[in-house]
Amino acid sequence: MVESLKDKVAIVGVGCTKFGDLYDHSLQDLMVEAAEMAYEDAGIEPDLIEAAWLGTFSPGFGGGKASITLADALRLYGKPITRVENFCATGTDAFRNACLAIVAGLYEIVLVIGAEKLKDRPVRGLRREGVHPYLDAGSTAPGVFALAANRYFHEFDIDRHVLAKVAVKNHHNGALNPKAHFQREVTEEQVLNAPIIAYPFGLYDCCPTTDGAAAAILCRADRARSFRDDPVLVKGIGLAVMTGKPYFDPTFDYIGFRSTKLAAQQAYEMAGIKNPRQEIDLAEVHDCFTWTEITNYEDLGFCKKGEGRYFIEEGRSALGGDLPVNPSGGLKSFGHPVGASGVRMIYEIVTQLRGQAGPRQVPNPELGLVHNLGGPGSVACVVILGR
Amino acid sequence: MIGITAHAVYIPRHRIGREMIASAFGRRALPGERTAVNFDEDSLTLATHAVQWGLRHVSSCHGLYFASTTAPYWEKLNAGLIAAACDLDEEVTVADFGGSVRSGTIALGCALDRVAASDLTNIIVAAADVRDAPPESVEEQIFGDAGAAIVIGHDPVIARYLGRATVYDDFLDIVRRDRDERVTSFASKFTFRRGYEEAVTKALSRLLEKVGLRPEEINKLILPPIDQGSHVKLSARVGFRPEQVQRTFFEHIGVTGSSMSLLLLSAALEEAHPNDKLLLVGYGDGADALLFEVTDHIDQFQVDHPIEEQLSWAIRFKSYELFRKAREFFRHHEDNLEISNILYEREERQNIRLYGTQCEECGTRQFPMTRVCIACRSTESLRDVRLGRRGRVFTFTTDTLTPSPIPPTVMAVVDLDDGGRLYLQMTDIEPESIRIGMPVELTLRRLKEGGGLHHYYWKCRPEER
Repeated sequence: MVESLKDKVAIVGVGCTKFGDLYDHSLQDLMVEAAEMAYEDAGIEPDLIEAAWLGTFSPGFGGGKASITLADALRLYGKPITRVENFCATGTDAFRNACLAIVAGLYEIVLVIGAEKLKDRPVRGLRREGVHPYLDAGSTAPGVFALAANRYFHEFDIDRHVLAKVAVKNHHNGALNPKAHFQREVTEEQVLNAPIIAYPFGLYDCCPTTDGAAAAILCRADRARSFRDDPVLVKGIGLAVMTGKPYFDPTFDYIGFRSTKLAAQQAYEMAGIKNPRQEIDLAEVHDCFTWTEITNYEDLGFCKKGEGRYFIEEGRSALGGDLPVNPSGGLKSFGHPVGASGVRMIYEIVTQLRGQAGPRQVPNPELGLVHNLGGPGSVACVVILGR
Repeated sequence: MIGITAHAVYIPRHRIGREMIASAFGRRALPGERTAVNFDEDSLTLATHAVQWGLRHVSSCHGLYFASTTAPYWEKLNAGLIAAACDLDEEVTVADFGGSVRSGTIALGCALDRVAASDLTNIIVAAADVRDAPPESVEEQIFGDAGAAIVIGHDPVIARYLGRATVYDDFLDIVRRDRDERVTSFASKFTFRRGYEEAVTKALSRLLEKVGLRPEEINKLILPPIDQGSHVKLSARVGFRPEQVQRTFFEHIGVTGSSMSLLLLSAALEEAHPNDKLLLVGYGDGADALLFEVTDHIDQFQVDHPIEEQLSWAIRFKSYELFRKAREFFRHHEDNLEISNILYEREERQNIRLYGTQCEECGTRQFPMTRVCIACRSTESLRDVRLGRRGRVFTFTTDTLTPSPIPPTVMAVVDLDDGGRLYLQMTDIEPESIRIGMPVELTLRRLKEGGGLHHYYWKCRPEER
């Protein structure tokens, strides 16, 4: 690594819409709301924005796959805007690209928006895009993660009861969060008795499809204090891309995600983290399915492979545990608007580091981790934020 | 010497009790059950599986004839698609036969003539039908679905060909117009006497006269049934004792159209002894009679999956409605498919012939075909490789989110026995019985409908080992 990002980029403003089934909002409405909140939070005028990155997976009408989706929504014309798409890790990758531009010295103040409108579609679940009509026929998002979960079940002593504890925890946290898609507790029994979507995942083992947007305003770290006294600094970023079709990869053991391990290694090295379990105070991880959160504990180095069950069973990842995971409610309860999620996780960690998280506040955190996972474990992005 | 060099039968795994069909309409049930296709099967897939099994016994194949009255394509060679799925060479002679349920023995006759007239060896004759009869009709109970394949070639043969006789008969028995999805049956005492009895009697007596044999010198009369018992009555009238008559599996399979005679020939060969004389009959718009004499090579020939074994692998439809849905789903369901004939052609070797890539550098066999090795990134030492057709489940899921006529969809990651990993739908399985490590075989199935095409691709299904 030639250059490190550590302490060179600051987050000075964040915004996040309510997440949920936002039937009366368009994608553009969501982007405008998130951006306005971030402008206000940073106390800046939109004119100061020099460049912008939009993370969105499936933008639909009003700009489609081009950057004009953001330009037209915010009427932010005449500036460099880039649309980023990297499966469910889209939001963090948009953030990462914005950081790179600041570190390169091209811009001082930039905007990142992650936004998604999934509820305008006539289909159930998340439509997989860019899939082969024969080779991937029958594949769904829960299905491709369930392949991994069943192999993990085969290798380790674990069953659906352990997964249910992740849903219970994240619903508990979401119930404390006024912006979460679901703000109610569930019991283990409810989780276990829900209809099966893709075995071993029942309905409550799956994150919902959600509408929402989140935004962040980034600046050069040395200018951050001109905006606010409590900027949050980027300590490290890692992005690792593996095969998009792990089910054809004869070298894959299917008991965890190599992308997460490698992205975490990059981010830890940049941030100078030797022992993540000890040094990280809280984490927002990609719990698209309950089992994913368990493998994330292991792949991020919070515990050993195969021991993720104890991390949830012993309450270590609960609010009040020694490494609270998904205090926001996670994708499971806060919701998962694909391109928005990564930026929403950054919003949550920034809110926590500033001590503004209300009833779900983790006491005095110094270092927080964001983990975003795209495709069937194909793309992972890890961001370390600190004060 | 020419004759039969190999044989195989493919019986679809699904069954429906005739009582379940009859009670849907308050009708009287015929005894037993019938075979029925799963929603992803048709005559082409039944035949492909029979060919796949039949070809395991021969080292070369110069022809593939496909006989069916229910071939999925009317313009496009069905036999060509079967040949591609079995990765036969492009110079193989392929042909479709149809028009009558006698097409099975007609194709067999053509194969015998062609082999006799050349030094070509091993023409595989595959027959399969998925005939549909109007709901509530007695034919709905009588019919069954199955495929069979008989390989014709030069010595060494397991049964020598001794001759044949044929009569055609422009007669109305069971018909289906080009515009109809289901047969119209005129079956009655009249069609038995004037159709079945008359045509079969003529063909049999001509053949026996030609070869100078009497009925009592025949070890097995292989007479395709038209219902539960008419063939018994007919065989007695033409001078055969009940023990000479091949059993028809009516209580387990039913009357299977074009594949019936070939299926029963295969059944007879399973139990035949050297020097047995087998007299095969085909019926439909006339009749064929063919005579074979079993050779000593029969003792070395063992089918992979005897009929009795396949009959024990039954999945029974839970309702009459599911039985009908499985037969009709793809007739009324179209997907919007983003696939062109250009993509189809470019990937035919991969998707239909099922080739992958072998890395000679690190030994990794992989799919889909690749320019860069997934394990060692080598680009130099890669070659195309035909993938095996058997493997074991590495992991799986049962998915209810994927739209399916009969959910859940079982998805499996399969490690092939001779290398390579595939991601496939699993079919012909009761979802609760799937487990990691379970042996599976690949089976070509109808995956989707759309864009004016049937889309065939590989699935896997449990294999008894």
